[in-house]
Amino acid sequence: MNYLLLVYSPESAWTREEWLACTVASGHVCRDLQAQGAFIAAAPLHPVATAASVRVRNGASLITAGPFAETTEQLGGFFLIDVPSLDDAIAVAARLPSAHKGTIEIRPVHQLDDVPSDRFTAPLPDPAERIRYMLLCYDDERAWQEAGAAALRSAQATAVALTHQLAARGQYVAASPLHPIATATSVRIRHGKRLIADGPFAETREFLGGYYLIDARDLNDAIAIAALHPGAALGTVEVRRVVDLASLPERNLV
Amino acid sequence: MTSIATAIAEIFRTEHRRVLATVVRLVGDFDLAEDAVQESFLVATRQWPKEGLPANPVAWLVSSARFKAIDAIRRRTRQRDLEPEIARLAEELALVSNELSEREINDDQLRLILACCHPALDFQVQIALTLREVCGLTTEAIAAAFLVAPATMAQRIVRGKSKIRDAGIPFHIPGPDELPQRIEAVLMVCYLVFNEGYSASSGDHHTRPDLAGEAIRLGRLLCALLPDAETFGLLALMLLHDSRRAARTTSAGDLVLLEEQDRSRWDQVRIREAHAWLAQAMAAEPIGTYAIQAAIAAVHADAATAQATDWARIAGWYDALVQASPSPVVELNRAVAIAMRDGPEAGLALVEALQATLIDYHLYHATRGDLLRRSGRASEACAAFRQALDLAQQEPERRFLIRRLAELGDAAGAQATIAQ
Repeated sequence: MNYLLLVYSPESAWTREEWLACTVASGHVCRDLQAQGAFIAAAPLHPVATAASVRVRNGASLITAGPFAETTEQLGGFFLIDVPSLDDAIAVAARLPSAHKGTIEIRPVHQLDDVPSDRFTAPLPDPAERIRYMLLCYDDERAWQEAGAAALRSAQATAVALTHQLAARGQYVAASPLHPIATATSVRIRHGKRLIADGPFAETREFLGGYYLIDARDLNDAIAIAALHPGAALGTVEVRRVVDLASLPERNLV
Repeated sequence: MTSIATAIAEIFRTEHRRVLATVVRLVGDFDLAEDAVQESFLVATRQWPKEGLPANPVAWLVSSARFKAIDAIRRRTRQRDLEPEIARLAEELALVSNELSEREINDDQLRLILACCHPALDFQVQIALTLREVCGLTTEAIAAAFLVAPATMAQRIVRGKSKIRDAGIPFHIPGPDELPQRIEAVLMVCYLVFNEGYSASSGDHHTRPDLAGEAIRLGRLLCALLPDAETFGLLALMLLHDSRRAARTTSAGDLVLLEEQDRSRWDQVRIREAHAWLAQAMAAEPIGTYAIQAAIAAVHADAATAQATDWARIAGWYDALVQASPSPVVELNRAVAIAMRDGPEAGLALVEALQATLIDYHLYHATRGDLLRRSGRASEACAAFRQALDLAQQEPERRFLIRRLAELGDAAGAQATIAQ
């Protein structure tokens, strides 16, 4: 089963040195997972100050600066892993240094057969021309219920078609819908004790329903792609730049 | 009833939850497992009277349910021929061996309990799922026990089952690193179920199931599956509390304080059983918090009269409890024990040291009032009882405080508060 581990922590709680040390420790976890065949992908994200949020209403894109929700802890990175059960995912989350300062939200990932195969391991085709972004798709469950099952099915088909268009342009890395928020679990470590809670790290009206990882020319290109996601019409797509691990000092490489 | 019909009924009663636990582990889905188990019991009622009881009824029922589940999966996949994972499950299920040891069946029950009490589930959901899937209570009965609408309870149970399935909560017994923390969670659920049943003083007892009794049954099962000192301690504690059930309320539903209870109405069978479990719980090092609480309850149980209570021993156990699990409420209880041993003034000093943390807790004021009353400081006692009355929520507790105020001649205070 694939799980997305979303790392939330207060950005202000990290010094640059601590953050680098955290990427090193997280890199060790990734290497161990790789040895077990459980690693798919992981990366830190640039700070939320660099985020943009996209909504499409009445056919027009509304772009705002900042993340979709202002919270005390911010999404700082993700880990995508393939492990047998939630207990294994919790064990991985508990090994991450960020679990001590923040919250790791664990979300089971829907695996679709009809999307292009992921390109996590392939190098950027043209590093000078491409930047990797994560599009975080926040959905409003009630709005989709009101829209009806047919609208939902058609939106899913459009989203899958979008992945193929992106792949044809060499911009597709990966994409997945997530299981509903009711399946979320949050892990924190405080005073050496593992605290596990039902539910996401923050209760919000719109919740993370899926993600795309794309290689775009620039933020404008990423925003244009975000606006093509059918969920942007009812919810919000947050655009976050992924930290290129190759840009970190050598010793930090995963 | 013929003897075979009696035997079948007995097997259904004792083995139904065990069969379900194994089938849930095999198919990994509650609804599928429940339907399959129900069908397999139906087949048994038709087949066994004709062909006689199988040598191993549990293995027979599990095997029959397994094939019913395979059929159901195949029907589903034919209907919408996607989901290769589910088709693979059917193939795997067909290869499972029919042999089931007693050990495996017990482990399956434990796996089910651990999944139902998984910390990734909401606490309310853990309790509901445990009562439904492990204890076999109906959704309606659980709803009645918690005074919520059956639809609300049904939704809670559905939510729990889908989280177990969709989030991939495993049916497995964790390793020694993690197991103690998980056992703690299971015992907590069991104790909460007990307290819910024990403190329930309202509601129609004919329609509300006996949650305290269910918790004790669950506690006995846990002692068999998880022979751990704290599990023994919890069962002893629940049995000791439950032994006083008939004596702790009046027919009008008023609380009767421990010192005023008719001790001839305490259930001696429960007390004897508790002592046996407690002796086993005491063998552990260090002694756990449930065992210490049970030891305190056992000192009370052993006193023929309230005056004969060995307060020195109780105070000693509270010292141990403060060490093992420090909290202001434990400190408050320790102060009461010390007051009983050394006199009210000694207790009062300890109680008043807790004022800052317990100022909003009605029992802080009630305890302080009682110690002041016993020190002969009636007007201060009245003031403390009035503060307790302002904070107390439960009707029996409020009636008790009003009674105390009246006894102290503070009729005005009691009346004024009632009028509020």
